[in-house]
Amino acid sequence: MSELRSGTDLVPDARQEGDTVIATVRGEIDLHNSPQLRDALLTVLLKPQPRKIVLNLADVPFMDSSAIAVLVETLQRLRKQGGKLYLTNLQPRVRGLLEIAKLDSIFKLVADEQAAMQDERDS
Amino acid sequence: MTSDTTRNHVSRITNHKSQMADTAQNFAPVPPPADRIELKISSDPANLAPTRHALEQWCRSRGFDSAAADDVGLCLTEALANVMRHAYGGRTDRPIVITAQCPDQTLIVRVRDWGNGIDPESVPPARSDPLEPGGVGMICLRKLMDSVTFTPQPDGMLLTMTRRRDRQTRQT
Repeated sequence: MSELRSGTDLVPDARQEGDTVIATVRGEIDLHNSPQLRDALLTVLLKPQPRKIVLNLADVPFMDSSAIAVLVETLQRLRKQGGKLYLTNLQPRVRGLLEIAKLDSIFKLVADEQAAMQDERDS
Repeated sequence: MTSDTTRNHVSRITNHKSQMADTAQNFAPVPPPADRIELKISSDPANLAPTRHALEQWCRSRGFDSAAADDVGLCLTEALANVMRHAYGGRTDRPIVITAQCPDQTLIVRVRDWGNGIDPESVPPARSDPLEPGGVGMICLRKLMDSVTFTPQPDGMLLTMTRRRDRQTRQT
């Protein structure tokens, strides 16, 4: 396991375990700070070229469409290298936005990090 | 920009009755919730969160449950972000005025800008692929509010959004 430095308080913890990157996202994310999230995800978390990225969103009470766009862009990049993006511990408000945008089916939405790791082993 | 500075950029004006109550807050009971709220901000994205928080808090004070207040807050965020990005082209020093009132059973939120005056609904949605998130903000407005009306002004745009008090939350 190796720790990754995201360079932003929005992603306070990130680590690489094999070909998986696991990160915690924290805070309300809107147009003001979504560029920071984008930098962290696209620059830092994708750099090791993981097969999977697991984002724990337990501490994200709010996201707007600009944050969703960052997640979608991350997913697009990840798919190009054959990877998957897991979102765990979604708060109802964030899950609701994904459902409204009909984007809930393109991400792997799972209960927690353990479920994401288990799914990794099964796939 | 610090959060304190951000808060300073959000000026809140309540109705006359509430202003009087605020002035006398040390000598009077807690004033009733203002029946109207007006927020004047600059088009800096740093103002999005405090403005949303202010409107959500006001909605709750007017008897809307948390889920409904959350929906309204999300719609306001999307509307403001649209103004900041498109109507003002990313400039952070332009004015936006938000008003909200709930005279009976319907919440009315208005967003006034002095930008390019282009009706966002006149721009065809870019989204045909689920991996293309364009237009998510407008989808939120349409799904979470009862009506969304863009009224061109001689010098900008007026967005009016309404939502019934008895509407169920999160109609997906």
